[in-house]
Amino acid sequence: MKLIHLPHIPKQTQIIETVAEIWSEWRRQKLPLYLFLGLCFNLVLAPAVFAATGGEFSRTQAYWLAALGLVTIALAIYLFFVMFVPEKF
Amino acid sequence: MQTPQDSTRPSRLSTPSGSRESRRHTPKADMRGLYQRAIHDSFVKLDPRTEAKNPVMFVVWVGTIVTFLVTIDPNLFGTVQADPGQQRLLNGVITFILFFTLVFANFAEAVAEGRGKAQADALRSTRSDTVARKLLADGSVQEVSSTALRKGDRVKVVAGDMIPADGEVVTGVAAVDESAITGESAPVLKQPGTDIASSVTGGTRILSDELIINVTSDPGQGFIDRMIALVEGAERSKTPNEIALTVLLSVLTLVFLIVVATVSPLANYVQAPTTIAILVSLLVALIPTTIGGLLSAIGIAGMDRVAQFNVIATSGRAVEACGDVGTLVLDKTGTITLGNRLADEFIPVNGHSLEEMSQICLAASVFDETPEGRSIVWLAEKNGAEVDFKTDDAEGLEFSARTRMSGTNLPDGREARKGAVDAIRGFVRSRGGKVPSQLDEAYERVSRLGGTPLAACLNDDIYGVIYLKDIVKPGLRERFDQLRRMGVKTIMLTGDNRITASVIAQEAGVDDFIAEATPEDKIDVIRKEQSEGKLVAMTGDGTNDAPALAQANVGVAMNSGTQAAKEAANMVDLDSDPTKLIDLVTIGKQLLITRGALTTFSIANDIAKYFAIIPTIFAAAGIGALNIMGLKSPQSAIISALIYNALIIPALIPLALKGVQFRPLTADQLLRRNILIYGVGGVVAPFIAIKIIDLIIPFS
Repeated sequence: MKLIHLPHIPKQTQIIETVAEIWSEWRRQKLPLYLFLGLCFNLVLAPAVFAATGGEFSRTQAYWLAALGLVTIALAIYLFFVMFVPEKF
Repeated sequence: MQTPQDSTRPSRLSTPSGSRESRRHTPKADMRGLYQRAIHDSFVKLDPRTEAKNPVMFVVWVGTIVTFLVTIDPNLFGTVQADPGQQRLLNGVITFILFFTLVFANFAEAVAEGRGKAQADALRSTRSDTVARKLLADGSVQEVSSTALRKGDRVKVVAGDMIPADGEVVTGVAAVDESAITGESAPVLKQPGTDIASSVTGGTRILSDELIINVTSDPGQGFIDRMIALVEGAERSKTPNEIALTVLLSVLTLVFLIVVATVSPLANYVQAPTTIAILVSLLVALIPTTIGGLLSAIGIAGMDRVAQFNVIATSGRAVEACGDVGTLVLDKTGTITLGNRLADEFIPVNGHSLEEMSQICLAASVFDETPEGRSIVWLAEKNGAEVDFKTDDAEGLEFSARTRMSGTNLPDGREARKGAVDAIRGFVRSRGGKVPSQLDEAYERVSRLGGTPLAACLNDDIYGVIYLKDIVKPGLRERFDQLRRMGVKTIMLTGDNRITASVIAQEAGVDDFIAEATPEDKIDVIRKEQSEGKLVAMTGDGTNDAPALAQANVGVAMNSGTQAAKEAANMVDLDSDPTKLIDLVTIGKQLLITRGALTTFSIANDIAKYFAIIPTIFAAAGIGALNIMGLKSPQSAIISALIYNALIIPALIPLALKGVQFRPLTADQLLRRNILIYGVGGVVAPFIAIKIIDLIIPFS
């Protein structure tokens, strides 16, 4: 059997291609993007929760508690959306 | 030739007697493996993109994820006081129950959808790519695939062929087997130029002779294609009632979400801290999961019930509108009376003998192929009349709504006519003749008997009145009484004179009638009723019915009707039985009652679940006395309430699919009855069920 050598692709090109692919997928599939942005926002929110609870929770617990708060708010927004555009559901 | 005796025998389709269940069609669809497929689909539907279409169940889905996370790490959202092992077990059980709440709700929808898909598969099996004989402009025949046919093409089909596309018969007379779509094995005669027998459906088979058909639909747009899309639910959109209920359920869910989200600080304040898993359980127990899980199944099952009656609804909106119908506009002939009116007696006037009159009636009806015409010929021949002219040299004149008479132009120039008494009176006067006073006496006598009087004449001489006997379908009076009790008004439309119409209306028990009605009167009466804020339902089959079918809120076209009527209507009855409109109204009402009853039950359940969970959670705050059920512990109370919450969904699936039993009661009576059964029952049943579950489960 004869081995076929694929042409060498520079690492920088590979990275650019991967980023471009992720970018195009993000534009197509919005949910992962929103999840990612939510988790990023939680990085800002979690220290506030940690500070507000006065050390009652660990940093991890504060992060997850803040995430739970965000999920609750997201659910409330989703339910409001259902109320105003019910025919879409 | 069909004899009057044959004609008087009521056909299977035209008899409305017997229960609705007995007239239900056995589903032709293959229902084997329905539940296996539904189980599979109920797991597939756990996809968040699918769950997000149901707001109540989506909240449960998010709750399940949260409880799953705290099952893995009970201290994820804060350190819990209890033993982590025990807490993990409790959280795991809660997750398990919530997961199956979702699966059960999906199962209800999947079973309802599965029935529709099975029906669609049965229909799809009738549709196959066939070779069609396309007629080209030069008259030659080209064999093409049925998928290559376009609107306006002409095709030739011969005995044994599958009809390649929907169309109108242009030439030929043939028997067609429509069992593939109607389930009725008796062949149907198709011929051109008639309102009720000229349209053919792609996928049906021609049994004898040959037809030239003008194709009326492009590939994929045919009747069977539309039926498949509808029963499969591909075109299902939410009905106005479903939208209103979705908003109500979302409001309730949002209110309880806010309440539960703010409970934690309150619980900490009263020294009764709760865990996230318990808060999620409280939320799921309080939101209306029962109706949330069954809502789409109820709607799909309503469409399915209509399909089981061999009626194809173009939308769920049409089925639902049936339930709100306030006025039924019904044709007399074929709907209230048996379709075929038969000549029962000849009443001679103007000094003519029975034999002379029979001779004229025979001459006037010899070319009349309608059941009425054939029965007149049969009665005339029974009276000894014979055709005394060459039929080849005579000219037959068809009945029309404008002239309201038919007849024959005899070879010697004489004109034999029969028709509505007014029309014949006008005809005779136009020929210089006089109308005898006996005519009115005979006319009134026939009318008072509830029959249709037809006058017969030769040129300017009236020979007498033909008594066409109308037979009211058995069992209709009771059906109309039921509809009246439900607040539905029935209006009979007939071309007959006022006296005949009033006799038939009285015999059938309709609320109102319009005599000597023209096709335009139909649309006028519909508009008048609609202007009073009522929803109107009607049936029709002819092209002249199309505007009225489009104007009505529920228009049911007969499958034997013209393409224009079918396209204007929002329902098509495959059996072409106009009486079915009454069944459709009851199915629509049943759909609305079922949805209302289960919503009442679901919301009433909340009271018991509230009393099961809240007192046990806040027992430390001194409200333990509210634990009126005496549940063992907070854990046991929550698990019992959640198990009940999950199990009530599959327990109510049969009711959601079959519908609440329909009773012909007034709106007030129905409301009282439903509040008693589903309201009070919805409060009491969970108290008992949660207590029993609490006694059975080992949590303490």
